[in-house]
Amino acid sequence: MTTVRGAAEIGGGLWHWLMQDTMDGLRRRRAILGYVFLLPTLLGIFIFTAGPVFVSFGLSLFRWNIFKPPDYIELANYERLLRDARIAISFGNTLKFTVLAVATQVSIGLILALAVHRITNTAMRYYFRTTFFLPLLMSGAAVAVVMGYIFHKEFGPLNYYLGLLGVQQIPWKTSADWVMVTIVITSAWRNLGFTFILFIGGLSNISQEVLDAADVDGAQGFRRLWSVTIPLLSPQILFATVTGVIGAVQVFEEPFIMTRGGPGNASRTAVMVMYEHAFKDIEYGYGSAIAVVLFLVIMAFTATQMWMSRRWVFYQ
Amino acid sequence: MSAEKKMSRRDLLKLAGAGSAGLVMSGLPVTVIAQDAVTIKVQAHGLDDNQLLPIADIMTARHPHVSVDWVVLTGIDHEEVAAKILALVAAGESIDVGYAATEATQLFAGQGLAAPLDDRITGDPDQDFWTDYFADVHPSLVEAMMYEGSLYEPPRDFNAANMYFNTNTLAENGFDVPGPNWTKDDFVEIARGITKKDDAGNTDVFGYAWINRLWGSWMPWIFVAGGNLYTEERAPGGDWCWDGYYEGDPAVEGRGGGFRWRTPIANSDEVVEALQLVVDLWQEGVTPDIEMGSGATLTGFYATGKLGMTPAGGFWAGRLKNEGMEKGDFDVQLWPAWRNQKHQFGTGGHWLAAGAKAPEEGWEFMKIEVSREGFEASPFFYPVIITTSARRSYSQAANYESTGPANYEVFYDTLDKHPSTSPIPAPPWANPMTTIFTTGTSNAMSGAMSPQDALDQMQAELEALTARQPQYYADN
Amino acid sequence: MTANVIRNPGDVSALEHQRQVLVHRAGKIVPVVLLFMLSMVVIAPVVWTISTSLRKGTESFTVPPRWLPTDMAIENYEEVFRKVPFGRQIINSTLITWGTVIGQLFSASLAGYAFARLEFRGRDALFWIVLATMMIPIQAVVIPVFIFLRNLGLVDTLWSLILPAVPTAFGTFLLRQYFLTVPIELEESGLIDGANQWQLFYRIYLPLVKPGMAVLAVLSFNFHWNEFFRPLIFLIDNDNFPITLGIFQLQGYMMTGAIAVVLAGVVMSLVPVIIIYLFGQRYLIEGIMRGAIKG
Repeated sequence: MTTVRGAAEIGGGLWHWLMQDTMDGLRRRRAILGYVFLLPTLLGIFIFTAGPVFVSFGLSLFRWNIFKPPDYIELANYERLLRDARIAISFGNTLKFTVLAVATQVSIGLILALAVHRITNTAMRYYFRTTFFLPLLMSGAAVAVVMGYIFHKEFGPLNYYLGLLGVQQIPWKTSADWVMVTIVITSAWRNLGFTFILFIGGLSNISQEVLDAADVDGAQGFRRLWSVTIPLLSPQILFATVTGVIGAVQVFEEPFIMTRGGPGNASRTAVMVMYEHAFKDIEYGYGSAIAVVLFLVIMAFTATQMWMSRRWVFYQ
Repeated sequence: MSAEKKMSRRDLLKLAGAGSAGLVMSGLPVTVIAQDAVTIKVQAHGLDDNQLLPIADIMTARHPHVSVDWVVLTGIDHEEVAAKILALVAAGESIDVGYAATEATQLFAGQGLAAPLDDRITGDPDQDFWTDYFADVHPSLVEAMMYEGSLYEPPRDFNAANMYFNTNTLAENGFDVPGPNWTKDDFVEIARGITKKDDAGNTDVFGYAWINRLWGSWMPWIFVAGGNLYTEERAPGGDWCWDGYYEGDPAVEGRGGGFRWRTPIANSDEVVEALQLVVDLWQEGVTPDIEMGSGATLTGFYATGKLGMTPAGGFWAGRLKNEGMEKGDFDVQLWPAWRNQKHQFGTGGHWLAAGAKAPEEGWEFMKIEVSREGFEASPFFYPVIITTSARRSYSQAANYESTGPANYEVFYDTLDKHPSTSPIPAPPWANPMTTIFTTGTSNAMSGAMSPQDALDQMQAELEALTARQPQYYADN
Repeated sequence: MTANVIRNPGDVSALEHQRQVLVHRAGKIVPVVLLFMLSMVVIAPVVWTISTSLRKGTESFTVPPRWLPTDMAIENYEEVFRKVPFGRQIINSTLITWGTVIGQLFSASLAGYAFARLEFRGRDALFWIVLATMMIPIQAVVIPVFIFLRNLGLVDTLWSLILPAVPTAFGTFLLRQYFLTVPIELEESGLIDGANQWQLFYRIYLPLVKPGMAVLAVLSFNFHWNEFFRPLIFLIDNDNFPITLGIFQLQGYMMTGAIAVVLAGVVMSLVPVIIIYLFGQRYLIEGIMRGAIKG
């Protein structure tokens, strides 16, 4: 009985503490609400992501082939990683891909959005918005078959049409010089829809008054684009680059289905080499060590971007 | 309902506990067990469970208490199937019966995931079944499923690397499908002869094409040139099988208890020469750029008449049929002779999990899979052949009637007429070995490296890989 | 036009006017023409997929390429249903995808709001933790996740795909940006009207970020509808498979399946996502329009 009353008193006290009609009470209520609102997401992340991540990261200190209990080997996996030529090549490829892919999908998405935004005809806008978004809907299986055909050196449509223009057959998938270009094109083709739609929305958000004011100031054409429109789009550009980089550093599917990392190691990426070690060589610990390094790289990239964004992102 | 069944099982255990050995011996418990429902988990490889229903039906008809639960594995490639099996193993999720091709056989055996079958076979009261089975299956397939003296999978299917021809392309250029004794030089002559170039110097019809992978890529050339990626040592043992079921068969001479691939010889002169041959054909424009992967485009271009010859096995008959090619549009022949005519194959079969929950029922299922009844109902062989039967009896004219090829005998002759034919090198680390092999191959086939340099690098990588492995072979 | 110019060579201002009109028109037409040509290039692979799914196998890969269906081989579509339980798999995909999308909308709108508009200790650190989960490739954690799921008894259920996907860093980040754009004055006036904290969120903020939720819904629907690797590892019985796995099954044992049949499966799997997109497009455009995204 006393305990119940005691609890009720404490509860009542808490309730009073929370609900008092002061700024302090309000702040407390909002803080508690914050934790409550985050609960589903944080709980889910701790159970399904953070937990496994800690397990995986912990395994990077072990030699584990899955069949047998793991052996603790301290930092041996990391030492090996530093000397592994294939890892260095794969990380280099990933970096190259990230820069090219993000630059391509952001710039082309931007140009297309700027062009489509000027179109006033509703049907045409609908048509363009749909066609540029469609590739994003294609699954990996479809991309493997279709792009395998399109980029086929001898019999593919792309070289066929280029041939009509007098261009020599390009070894899209089978030459170390071209393969990254091919992967970047495929990836940009698939992700174009995302950046395009993002920028279309951003453009619609820029009020006509701002643009009119720029006109009055004599800013027209490319100058207006450069000094008015693009700064106003900078929040979207930041979002597209941050999520684009996070995605691009983890590139796996395009090279995996199109070239399996070849020719040689020319299109082998960081996640691919991690996957190969974990599941083909069955060196799960070593694969985990690669994942840890990759994670640190992405984290560094993202933090840098967020920090730099203070200098160039402009909020309306 | 299940409570009742559990009761009967508990009763049985009580009986057994009472020491009524006589009951056990008399076979009576089998009928008692028949009351108790058992579900076996079987890996279905590449086909859907409704396609596999006929085999499950035989099992259930013979053993009414058993139902088959298929674990359907699908993926772009071997490695995804491997990823799934590894995840199952890591989580302790058990299956009773798995399926593996040559590539994974020694891995599962070497890690103790699969159980040796020797005692089950020799101790089987139904010896007629095994006598009939082994008489119907070439010993080289059986040997390929052995690891350190024991058999782990009774072979169900195999595919040898043979040469496929687009007969129309050959005929247009005045060539006939060659005979079984043709040579590498005959091959080069045909390949050049059927290649057609346009005015710009681009090839319009290629004489010869292949896919960059382990089996059936340029691997067959390595074999006929007299090389391999690893030396072919044989583990001792296997006599229980060779003496017990193949007595008097000259084809078992020199066989042991499975291969030990542990000394890399990837940059030997023979291998360099084989790679030089395919690189030369590529540089001449007889062969298109070589791609990795599934070969979907290659099949497509073959079907549209853009390719004359390619390495493939019995599974291609069904594949070309599925792609709409007519019987007679294609044919097949043994791989041409070079220094020798040693062919290569990959084989596949079911394995019994060492930790199976229902090993007896799983074993019964495995027997059905390789029985005559099982083959006659198998979706892998009917209505169209999508892989070559490991049993000679189902690699006959009737089996290829709807698809072709005319030279279907070639498939089994690869084994029967050439007992030296052996499996692709597949040590327990076959998966990373394959990555090294295909990477090195594309280094040479893209012109980035000379064959010698590419193979020197391959050799170094194989040596490092081999050195990293735990001790898989006994006297290492 | 040219003749016109020659007839009045002296009229400079008219000439100049005409030139300007021409430049103006060209400035409008040329980009549209270029855009149209580019759109053809962008959708060409999609068009080829559809038309090849309607062709006989021997016509799959042709030189020169053919873009329009030639045979109208509907049997490829029938074959899909003969080879795999495609109807069942469509239902599975629908359940998995909608389950995930609805769960994400719920959790991400709460979390996005908390990160954008509520102040509490450790907020920024927690935000970075959430963001960090985007930076881990699924291949790196799939085995521990699988073990966790097995301990929870979820392996080989549709829940094994839905539950771990509900907490979404991407969605939280996206919706946070939308909540940030809602003017703070609205909140203040809401408080003056006596709204409590829940009402503030539910009645004032949530309706304003509906467009952002539409963006998340469309992108997330598309992503999970096309997901391959997680279902491959987490599901065992093919009655539980989504269509992505079904399509791979169509490729058959050792790739012996016909390409046209695989593509028929692909085309059928595209239809629901296209419908979702067409429905969501209005919201999507409006959605991103409202979300002036802040870093």
